[in-house]
Amino acid sequence: MNPAYAYIYDDFLSDRGFERDIASLETKLNTFELAGRIGRLALFRSAKDLVEDLVRQGATTVVVVGNDTTLDKTMWFLPDLDVTVGYIPVTGPNAVAKLLGIPVGVEACGVLAARLIETIDMGRVDDRYFLTEISLPATIASLEIEGQYNVSSMHGGSLTVRNLGGRVGSEMVVADAKDGFLEAVIVPMEQERSSSLWKRVPTAKGTSIHLRHGVITSKDPVEAVVDNHAVSGFRFEVSVVPKKLRIITGRGRRLGATGVLQDHGRNGTVRSAQKRSLTARFSFPR
Amino acid sequence: MSMFTSPKREDDMPEDHSFGGRPSPATVIAGGVRVEGDFTSQGDVLIEGEVHGNVTTTGLLTVGPQAKLKAGVKAEKAIIAGIIEGNLEVGSHLDIKSTASILGDITCQTASVESGATMDGRVEIGAKAAQPGQKHGAKAAASHDGKEDE
Repeated sequence: MNPAYAYIYDDFLSDRGFERDIASLETKLNTFELAGRIGRLALFRSAKDLVEDLVRQGATTVVVVGNDTTLDKTMWFLPDLDVTVGYIPVTGPNAVAKLLGIPVGVEACGVLAARLIETIDMGRVDDRYFLTEISLPATIASLEIEGQYNVSSMHGGSLTVRNLGGRVGSEMVVADAKDGFLEAVIVPMEQERSSSLWKRVPTAKGTSIHLRHGVITSKDPVEAVVDNHAVSGFRFEVSVVPKKLRIITGRGRRLGATGVLQDHGRNGTVRSAQKRSLTARFSFPR
Repeated sequence: MSMFTSPKREDDMPEDHSFGGRPSPATVIAGGVRVEGDFTSQGDVLIEGEVHGNVTTTGLLTVGPQAKLKAGVKAEKAIIAGIIEGNLEVGSHLDIKSTASILGDITCQTASVESGATMDGRVEIGAKAAQPGQKHGAKAAASHDGKEDE
């Protein structure tokens, strides 16, 4: 056993359907001499306490085993620990794994063994970290940026502040998690006539602003989703903590990119990337 | 449920540095979005919404045909197709499109103006405009007062 490695298994992996997968995974890790202590998440067990205990026992690499939801359960505290983070996605959802260039299943053990480590930024909303984004799906909240100006959609819309990015419909939207900025994206709603009714639909274009610090405020309580966890309130303070998380990535990582990754593969394989550019988005009328 | 039996290969994906490394973040203010306050950027800026306050950028400012700015504007380069109510200071080239309407003084190094654009204010072309974020000491090479329709 390699004492430097510790593995955090999500509780759904105790399902019998995953027995063979976990056995294959552990065999592969043994082959690479990467087998370590195992901690299992459970409903009434604190993930933070579990990981801190493993770190006290000498773990310097903490590997999250499960899916993106498992990652969400640990990312709010992992950046404050002096560890390198690994990720083995076993099943979906695994959009974050794709952004990190980590294949699903035993193939991820090869990524772990290669130890291609990147130090990335983490977002912070109030007192908790986030890896991917904070989003307010339909809101009239405004975003004050760097204490200098306010941005708001005039008729409501969605507001998202991204660090790494995430899945939007069938697309994966990537933000640069190594540039020392968060990316705020506001997609306003516009009225569209549908038969005899007017309905509000998102416009095709979104506002994109890079920021280090911002405050989301609303007169009414709003619900925000932070790394797939719902929080509600009137005010959310967001900021970036540059170079905060050491994470093991694969060759196909997308950390230095921005734009939309189009998902054409039947199994969700990312095959093409499209960089956002001003010239592509805007043309003058002739 | 399980995907271990059919692991996906991601080796055909290009590495991130193949399309990373942009010089500076680009900022977009889309239509239907309002900005209030002193908006400052180090990169290129595209505005299609509304801005009330001041706009300063060290890059290219593009104001779309639907955009409305009630703002003092400073930029290194600018392409204007929308409405600006406020003074416009451009460090190098200013491109005014036919749909543009500018109510305020204009300072720039060089300019091109399309037929149909309207301007109301002093125009100083060839002047050494202030760098964005600095006070400007313009040296007039040409100036026009009043409304101009080309």
